[in-house]
This record gives sequence, C-alpha cells and structure tokens, in this order.
Amino acid sequence: MKRSVIPLLTTLFVLVFFYLPIVVLVVNSFNASRFGGTWEGSTLEWYRMLFRETSVWRALRNTLIIAVGATFASVVLGTTAAFALHRYHTRLQRLHYTLIYTPLVVPEILMGMSLLLFFVAAGFELGLFTIFLAHTTFCISYVAMVVLARLQDFDFSIIEAAQDLGAGWWTTAWRVLLPLLAPGLAAGGLLAFTLSIDDFVITFFVSGPGSTTLPVRIYSMIKHSKNMPMINALSAILLVVTFAAVWGSQRLTKESHA
Amino acid sequence: MNARILIPALALGATLLAGCGDKTPTLHFYTWADYIKPELVQRFEQEHGCRVIIDTFDSNEAMYAKLKAGATGYDLLNPSSYMVKLLKDQGLLQDLDRSLLPNLANIDPEYLRIAMDPEMKHSVPYMLTNTGIGYLASRVPDFDPSWGVFDRSDLRGRMTMLNDMRETLGGALKFLGYSLNSTNEYELAAARDVVIRWKKNLAKFENEQYKTGLASGEFTLVHGYNGDILQVMEANEDIAFAVPKEGTSISCDDLVIPTTAKEVAHAHAFINFLHKPDVAAENTEFIGYLCPNSAAYPLMSEEIRNDPSIFLAPEIKAKSEVIGDVGESLALYTKMWDQVKAAE
Repeated sequence: MKRSVIPLLTTLFVLVFFYLPIVVLVVNSFNASRFGGTWEGSTLEWYRMLFRETSVWRALRNTLIIAVGATFASVVLGTTAAFALHRYHTRLQRLHYTLIYTPLVVPEILMGMSLLLFFVAAGFELGLFTIFLAHTTFCISYVAMVVLARLQDFDFSIIEAAQDLGAGWWTTAWRVLLPLLAPGLAAGGLLAFTLSIDDFVITFFVSGPGSTTLPVRIYSMIKHSKNMPMINALSAILLVVTFAAVWGSQRLTKESHA
Repeated sequence: MNARILIPALALGATLLAGCGDKTPTLHFYTWADYIKPELVQRFEQEHGCRVIIDTFDSNEAMYAKLKAGATGYDLLNPSSYMVKLLKDQGLLQDLDRSLLPNLANIDPEYLRIAMDPEMKHSVPYMLTNTGIGYLASRVPDFDPSWGVFDRSDLRGRMTMLNDMRETLGGALKFLGYSLNSTNEYELAAARDVVIRWKKNLAKFENEQYKTGLASGEFTLVHGYNGDILQVMEANEDIAFAVPKEGTSISCDDLVIPTTAKEVAHAHAFINFLHKPDVAAENTEFIGYLCPNSAAYPLMSEEIRNDPSIFLAPEIKAKSEVIGDVGESLALYTKMWDQVKAAE
C-alpha cells in the first residue's frame, strides 16, 4: 500500500506555522535594522545593548521570581483543590468547583481591576507580593483543571492497597499518590509558569513601584523606545535557555527509564 | 499534610515582602520605557544620594485607571498634557513648590504660551512631540508640505492617517484654516467631510504599523509623530519628514507629582535636575524629542537644531496648537469621527 504524503505535509505545515515566527524573531535579533522590515546586515549591537540595560534584567528578575513563586503555590493549592473536588461530592464542593472555574472565564481586565481594588481596600502595599497573589489566584484554576483531568482516570484502589499494606497517610501521599500524579502536576505547573510569565493585563494593575515585569516593560517600549530589537535578543536568549532545559529534562527522563 | 510544602511557600512569600524595605531614599518615577537617558538617572542618584526606580506604563488611560483605583507609591508621573488635566480635575495631583524649582526659569516661554498649564502650577513640560507627514522622497514627486497632500489620488491606497480622532480631524480643521480645538459644529462638519474625502485615498487609519510600513515601502506617505518618523529615517535614507504649512498639533508629556507621593522633595529635585540646561540637551539628543528648555537649545548639536521636524519653523509654530480639552464638545468630535469611520 502506498503511504499517503498528506500526514507529512500536514506535519511540515504545522511545524512551519509554529516555528517560522520564532525563526524570524531570532534572525531579526541579529538584524542591524531597527524595524526588521528589511535585512541590513548582521550585528551584535542589540545583544550588547541588552547586557548594558539593567532595567530589562530587573524586569526579567521580577518576572521569574513571580513565575516560580506563583507556580509553586498554585501547584500545591490547585492539586489539593482538585483532590477535594474529585474525592468529595457535596453541595459545597459544587460551589467550590464554580469558584475554581470562574477565573478561567472572567475577563482579565475585570480580574485585574477587582484585585487592584481589593488590594487597595485591604491596605496591601502594591508590589511583587501582590502580583504573586494575583498570579497564584488565576494559576490555581488552570492547575486544578489539569490535575482534575488526571484524577478522572486515577485508580483509587492503589491507595487502598497501599493503606492495606500498612502505609500511613503521609507515606501514601508521598510515595504512591504523588509519583502517579506527577505528569499532571508537571503539566499544570508548566501551564501556570507560562501563564504567569507572559501575563500583562492583571500584572499591570496589581504591580506597584519597583515591580515592573518584563511584559509590562515591553508594552511600554512600543510608545517611545528605539530599542525594540533588544527584546528580540532577549527572547532569543530565553529560547536557547528553554530549549536547553527541555532537551536536558528529556535526556534525564530517558536515562531514568533505561 | 502539606506542612513541609507550606513552610517554604510562606518563607517565599515573606522574602517577597521583605524585598520592599530599604533605608536609602527611593524615588519612584512612573513613565514610558526608554524615555530618559540612563546615564542621567545615574548622575542624579550620585548627586542626590537617592535611588531612582523607574516603572513603566503603556498608555495614559491605563495609568489613569490604575491611579484612580487607588494605586500609590509613585512620586513622579509622566503623563501627556490632556491626561494631566484629567488627573488634576480628579484631585490626584499636588501643586508644585516653585522655590524648589529654580531651573523652570529656563522653560521656553514660546511653548508656555500655548501650554495647558502655562504657569506651571502643577505640571512641568518634559518632552514635545508634533505630528506631521513622513514620505518616501523618491516616490512622491512634487511634494507640497500641506494637509492637502491627502487629496492626491496618484498616491491612492499608499497613504495612512492616524487612527486618532483629535489628530486626524485636527489635521482637517487646520487644512480648512480653523483651530484644531474648534467646538463649532459647522467647522467640525466641514472637517468631517474633508476627512471622508481623504479616506478614499487612504490605505487605512493606523497608529503603529505606519512606521514599519513606511520603512519597507508598503506606504509612501504617512501621517505620524515626528519621533516615530525620525526613528525610521535612520533605517531608510529615502524617508523625509515635513510639517504641514497650515500648522499641526503639538503634544507634550509633563512631569507631575501625585498627592500620594512620599518623596516630594526628591521629586522636585528630579524635575529641577531634568531642566538643567546640559541635562535637558543631553536628554533631547538621546530621545529625539524636544525638551522645551531655552537654555538647553544652544547646547544641542547642529543636527538637532537645524532639524525642522524638531524645531518647527517660526511661521508654522505660530499656526500650531496643543490638543486641548474641548469639554462638552468631545461628544461632537466622537460623532463626527464615527461618521468618518462609517463612511464608504
């Protein structure tokens, strides 16, 4: 039987669709032109400029601190929420489900504004901590939904078996439940991390003095900055770091299976 | 069950909170990204023993919404003039202490004549921009610096105007010889008809992409801000900029101190510092907009001083205006603009 070329074409098309913009971005980070419309020779000027520009690095640092913190907190809280939603079916849990689900459908601008009003009314000083709280708030919902999906086909007799064999609650959770849920936790965590890193609308409202994050800074650069290609350079560096991390983690998992 | 996880989480939260405390005075400046020369900020920090933290916003409206909701902690803001008026009306700005601002004597009196706060009671001008026409010299033969250029049917589909009600209707008002702050319904209707006529020749109304479009040759003539077009001029030799002879709009970003500021003295010191002649000149060279500081003009490079897009010719300047508050008539502008947008 002759193999169809359609799957191959589709794959190629999807790859081009996903990766071409990234390639263009990386290429433009070496483009001497400020606007990237035309190629005007290669340069490392944007990288040089980027390394001198401390405010961009401070924004990146803020972004990463918040992303790591919010991912961690939302994975813990989201997982426990998912567990409760899956295990117990009371009327209160139905309300709980609605509460968890709501942030997924509430428009960001509404959430940003209401969180800002809340923080101001509660007397919080706006800054990294309020951004962390805001990001955790919306990330919990995503993590909970991902983990909940994982729990749907989870065989709880394993837990009972572990308990029959004398494992305590802590041992069961740590040695049985957690490893089995790990892929769901990792997926939820990664989702939370990416959502937190590129959030603009909510972050803009709840950020305070000294807590400008990378997306907030980049949006502001559109108005007056001549240095937009600097962001291409930064994105290229982040891409390299991300690909290295993905490649490294794949190697690690392969080795542990072998 | 999650005690082991909760403790590090709480510790993390505590670290995030602890990051805020510091002893050296810190001035929080809320402005646009890359809108001040970084070396000047360092110089101020050394001279005044005060840290400057810059945070950025991306639109006047978003910044206003945030402050109005009660966000605090900023000592110095950098909104555009029309937003300064709104902030002032809402009681969000404090009056300036002129005794701390001796360098305001350097501010260009010609600009103050048309400024919205000419006595600088609560705002000090920082940078001036004006709108004009950017075009590809080789593809626009017999260019005449006039708003009437948008009537040229040989450039049909290759021109853009700003997607901004006040700027574009303002251009048409100027073309007809009226004030761009006109509140006269007859004049506005005439301006609307002119813009509808121009619209037939336009590719679109556009605020951002016109820069790259002009640089790449997709558009041959655009209505835009001088700073933007000066930037693309560096990329494409063929681009030229002209200010329409009928006059144009001048807008200004101002320095203001919010009522909630903590470092009021340092905020004044920073405003005063930015209007030292040498600082203002250096900043203008770096950003490419004009700091309206008469004492700084002689210190600027020939290139900047002879640039008619930065220093408007006196006869054009005399006809140009700041986009001001039109009060109740704003609704009339919106109505006319909607009709322009709906017109075929």
